[in-house]
Amino acid sequence: MARRQMKSALNTRLSSFQKIYLLLIAGFILGPFIPLIIQSFAFRWAWPDMLPSTWWLEQRDRSILPLAWDYVLSPYSRVWEATLNTVFIGTVVTAICLAICLPAARVLAREKFKGKAAFEFFLSMPLIVPEAAIGISLLMIFIKLGLAGSYLGIIIVHLIPTIPYMIRMLTAVYQGLGRDFEEQAMILGASKWQVMRLVTLPMLLPGVVAGALFTFLVSTNIFLLTFFMGQGQIITLPTLLFSKIAGGTLDASAAGITLVVTIPGIILLLITERFIKEEAFGKGFGN
Amino acid sequence: MTKVQLKGVRKEFGAFTAISQIDLEIASGELVALLGPSGCGKTTTLRMMAGLEVPTLGQILFDDEDVSEVRVQDRNVGMVFQRYALFPHMTVEKNVMFGLKVRGTPSDEIKRRLEEILDVVQLDQFRHRFPAQLSGGQMQRVAIARTLITNPSVLMMDEPLANLDTKLRGEMRRFIRDLQQRLGITTVFVTHDQVEAMELADRVAVIFNGELAQYDAPDALYQRPNSIEIADFMGASNIFKAQITGGIARTAFGDLQLDQTVCQVRDGSGHVLLRAEAIDLLLSDADADQNLIAGKVTGREFFGATVNYTVDCNGEAITVNEQSRRMVDVGQDVWLTIQPQRIWVIQNPV
Repeated sequence: MARRQMKSALNTRLSSFQKIYLLLIAGFILGPFIPLIIQSFAFRWAWPDMLPSTWWLEQRDRSILPLAWDYVLSPYSRVWEATLNTVFIGTVVTAICLAICLPAARVLAREKFKGKAAFEFFLSMPLIVPEAAIGISLLMIFIKLGLAGSYLGIIIVHLIPTIPYMIRMLTAVYQGLGRDFEEQAMILGASKWQVMRLVTLPMLLPGVVAGALFTFLVSTNIFLLTFFMGQGQIITLPTLLFSKIAGGTLDASAAGITLVVTIPGIILLLITERFIKEEAFGKGFGN
Repeated sequence: MTKVQLKGVRKEFGAFTAISQIDLEIASGELVALLGPSGCGKTTTLRMMAGLEVPTLGQILFDDEDVSEVRVQDRNVGMVFQRYALFPHMTVEKNVMFGLKVRGTPSDEIKRRLEEILDVVQLDQFRHRFPAQLSGGQMQRVAIARTLITNPSVLMMDEPLANLDTKLRGEMRRFIRDLQQRLGITTVFVTHDQVEAMELADRVAVIFNGELAQYDAPDALYQRPNSIEIADFMGASNIFKAQITGGIARTAFGDLQLDQTVCQVRDGSGHVLLRAEAIDLLLSDADADQNLIAGKVTGREFFGATVNYTVDCNGEAITVNEQSRRMVDVGQDVWLTIQPQRIWVIQNPV
């Protein structure tokens, strides 16, 4: 209730300038998708026409579906295979990333040790070093190890850029979760396992969900590292898209694939957004 | 009803000694405050009693039974944290039931005890709320209920009144006192605030630098501190150097007659402690017969019910506190007098 009231109060306070500004931002975010959507329903759209000269609807007798979607949905496009790969790799990467980062974040948030500041800096190194540099050097090692072109190889390289984000996010969550809660649960008689299951995990959950969502999205968007490690044998949505547009043709089927690429992220965001905004957590940790 | 004893307890964290040695006995059903400045080791002492820390040396006894090595889960103590540590993802009801649930208590008994305790802390109407929807006092009552429902043998509290505003403080103080007396549960709490310690506790253990400095009833601690540090910590403002000879303290502002039945003194150097509210401020010297000190008012602080005067007496500034039934102007010549039995003398131990 209170939140709704606050929202309406905010609405009334927006000046017309602010409204235009918001519209502009929305335009910049959503705008690029408009030509993609148009393109995917076009039959022929050549320069310098502002709109397609021939729409798919006018040529329905020649193709039942729009050309783009006909291609995307057909096995020739390998979109289905790429989507499965992308989701599979993203899920495994997220799970491994959580398993590594949860204990690490706990230590980073609660303990003081020598060289902690240097260690934290070191953790963000993968974000600073260019991806191509990591990719090429790792590729040389992975070819020798026989990991190039395997799922395992791709999953390992995906962990490199995702771990720094995840650790940062979870460290912040752990810092918000004081020792008090766990100690209180122990004093009340809870065993280590009960403390973990009933107190620690539920309290960490919003942060864990946010971190997992972010990791999944980053993993599903990595092109260069996947491209290097996949060796063309394992395709994901980004590499598929790149191979489609690498020749310079931005045709209807490329537009279709691009739209497909954005779907997993949007679905995930819709699911988790509701979840993160649970009333109990909306107001912080009750202090 | 449990008697708590600490015998020669010492605690080190690596090279750092938090508690050098503490012996303490808390009688069954007593309410004791551990008082000291931050970093003195009082919280460590409490955590050792709760079982969250294991003492490096010494023993902790509950009813003459050594529990130093007993796990925190099995020690059956209760602790109310300073910020209450209510589980934010559980309703009031679930928070309160937590202790019984994890112990595997049958659900009909949990139900019965839940109703009982919610009634005691008057939280029945808030049972389905989340902690974030409660006020500070309500959160504290939930924390107390959650602890008491497990029938702990000792109740511990960390700064129980610190997070509350002045009005709630009085209410919670009465609530905690009443509850503690009704249940007769041995209670220990930690505080850095001498007012909180005095208003709540039966006895106060003052801890300085990891050692027990004094362990006494609040009024004794206030009137008869055994060192200048304690007097200072208990808020005493008038502490003056004195030479004691034959029951008389010679100070910079005159001689004071002492009452030897109140404080045993020996000849030599020492300090006199004059409590600001024990001094009478007179406008003429005709009304008093002994311990008369001449001076001049140099400052006045008005607090509403009381007034503090700063009186300059031969170079020493004496603070006098009195009910604000009259106002004495700054600059006025006055006489101070104090009864011999209200003077306390602090001397270094021989």
